[in-house]
Amino acid sequence: MSVNIENFSHSDTKEILTLAVEVGDTLLRNGGEIYRVEDTILHILNAYGIEHCDVYVLSNGIFASANEDREDGCSIVRHVPLGGVHLGKIAAINQLSREIVANKCTLTDAWERLNACKALPPTKTWIRSIFCGIGCACFAYIFGGTLIDAISALFLGMLLECMLLYMSKRKSSKFITNIIGSAFVTAGSLLLLNLGFPVMQDKIVIGDIMPLVPGIALTTSIRDLFNGDYLSGAIHLMDALLTAMCIAVGVGTVIILYRYIPGGVILQ
Amino acid sequence: MIIQFLVSMLACLSFAILFCAPRNQCIYCALTGAAGWLSYLLLEPAAGAVAASLLATFLLTILSRIFAAARKNPVTLYLVIGIFPLVPGAGIYYTSYYFIMNDMTRFAVKGMETFKIAGAIALGIIFALAIPQSLFHIFQRAHK
Repeated sequence: MSVNIENFSHSDTKEILTLAVEVGDTLLRNGGEIYRVEDTILHILNAYGIEHCDVYVLSNGIFASANEDREDGCSIVRHVPLGGVHLGKIAAINQLSREIVANKCTLTDAWERLNACKALPPTKTWIRSIFCGIGCACFAYIFGGTLIDAISALFLGMLLECMLLYMSKRKSSKFITNIIGSAFVTAGSLLLLNLGFPVMQDKIVIGDIMPLVPGIALTTSIRDLFNGDYLSGAIHLMDALLTAMCIAVGVGTVIILYRYIPGGVILQ
Repeated sequence: MIIQFLVSMLACLSFAILFCAPRNQCIYCALTGAAGWLSYLLLEPAAGAVAASLLATFLLTILSRIFAAARKNPVTLYLVIGIFPLVPGAGIYYTSYYFIMNDMTRFAVKGMETFKIAGAIALGIIFALAIPQSLFHIFQRAHK
């Protein structure tokens, strides 16, 4: 099915712009990089026959206007909070925008598809916590831990993910979440050490902080900087640095407190 | 070495699921990550951690761009997951640990190294992204 561009009347401008920004919003919210968001919005607008348009995207906001010089001109400002990452939604939106650009999608279809994309569920809680555990265990192992370390990391990782999910439900601040998360795994590993398990405490902690480590923020920030979006790159870089600092604070606090516990095993 | 490859693959697979990657793409994310980690391991003894990180990231980004072209998905999908084994999580831990232990010499050494690795990862991604997209269209056609 092909869309006839001439069919769109002036009153559709608003709706097309809303659709395009909504698509961009979903992309940005789930961890897409700035360049992709801008590009997608512009392509969608062009596909529906709007030539005069401008889009400016930041890490946490979208500004877009269409047909400014005409009577049906309109613009949209959106605030998009920095959020979690859902790669499935990014891939689905990518597919949708490809089809829109190829003129395979009418406006109503596009809305339906978009809503379907937005409704993609996150992975189930128990699956998440199991795989978080496995991931942590594997990282603990490849970073030089033994099998016992990996198994300890598995259980701590599962508990950590449960805790992270609980805290994100309670809408705790990101800083507190990271500090408490890393403090928790450090405390857990020290507990295991004190119970007499032959574990390498540092390897367990390194494996278990992997879900907290700002790998995604760092990657996104580099990609934004590379594309010349310095402001957004700086926002993500700041995010990555602060997250790293929070992890350091969480780990550090527990180690300091541990030194005051009488009878603690002295770390190397 | 094979065990390392498989374990890092499993690690990336788990993280791909954790970040809700589409089911049919998870295995490619895992492959990217494992390839990055393997090349890091092979290069690290000869080139040192920083240069190895740079080269491994470079290879990994190219691989994720190939997958992206062949599977018609955003590069981010493969890159974000694949980069995880190389991100200096250990560096962050040891840096803060030495800081707290008041071991300033080792803190400075470890901190600089972590910082350099992060920079090397950035450069690796940037170099690989600078390769023109047209080269990757070969894979797109080959897959059709």
